[in-house]
Amino acid sequence: MEAAADLVFKALADHTRRDLLDALYAHDGQTLTALEERVPMTRFGVMKHLKVLEEAGLVVTRKRGREKLHFLNPVPIRLIHDRWVSKYAEPWAASLSALKADLEES
Amino acid sequence: MTTQNTTQTVSFADGTAPVGDTAVFEIFIKATAERVWAAITDPEQRAKYSFGVQTHSDWTPGSSYTASVPGVVDIASGENVVVEPPTADNQRGLLVQTFNALWSDEIRAQGTTRVTWEIEPVGDSCRLTVVHDQLPPTANAELYGGWPMILSGLKTLLETGELLTTPGSLMYQGG
Repeated sequence: MEAAADLVFKALADHTRRDLLDALYAHDGQTLTALEERVPMTRFGVMKHLKVLEEAGLVVTRKRGREKLHFLNPVPIRLIHDRWVSKYAEPWAASLSALKADLEES
Repeated sequence: MTTQNTTQTVSFADGTAPVGDTAVFEIFIKATAERVWAAITDPEQRAKYSFGVQTHSDWTPGSSYTASVPGVVDIASGENVVVEPPTADNQRGLLVQTFNALWSDEIRAQGTTRVTWEIEPVGDSCRLTVVHDQLPPTANAELYGGWPMILSGLKTLLETGELLTTPGSLMYQGG
């Protein structure tokens, strides 16, 4: 679990890779050729970044006919949310909702 | 480019379907293929990580299934098109289902889509892939947006025996 989280955090710690994820978020299921047009980088550079994203599980490829399509896999981000973000963010969100309810009642 | 023949932008961000009408969700779970299959097909286990929703079927090829919180809300129904549980000889599991979402009028209007569960052993774990495809061009993100939370809960259940308790994950489990 921790090793998997390391891969996700490392993959996200690079703006080109975040740009690639955003490109897939906006438009899922793209070929390498299509993704090359989204970032100012050589084909080899894009391939290298996609490999890091794939190893972290953030990008999953599926064959469709002769094309290899890249899909954003949001599950590892959800796992990090469930393991880390919710622990710190939720008590805060819960007390804000309670405050909102109190204010609305009075 | 794959979009030039469509005029409408399709994106998660807009709540519309990904290009190619397909969403893919993948997770690694430290459990045997048999345990993963059981967690998908056993209504009691399924409810524990699916917002309290039980899924009932006899899990034979061509059989139907229903998913609901009895007396509260109908969630989905459909047909089990391919049912191949992992066996001692072949540890890969495959379940292909038609998926009619039922939880609201808006979601019902999305029509029939398809959900494919693939289980593949990798070392001491399994790769579980859920492919939700045949989505309509203007698919509501609500239709497929719940999978990350469901799969995260499935992983937690199989690896720790515990329930995921993030907001929403126990939506219907109060009763």
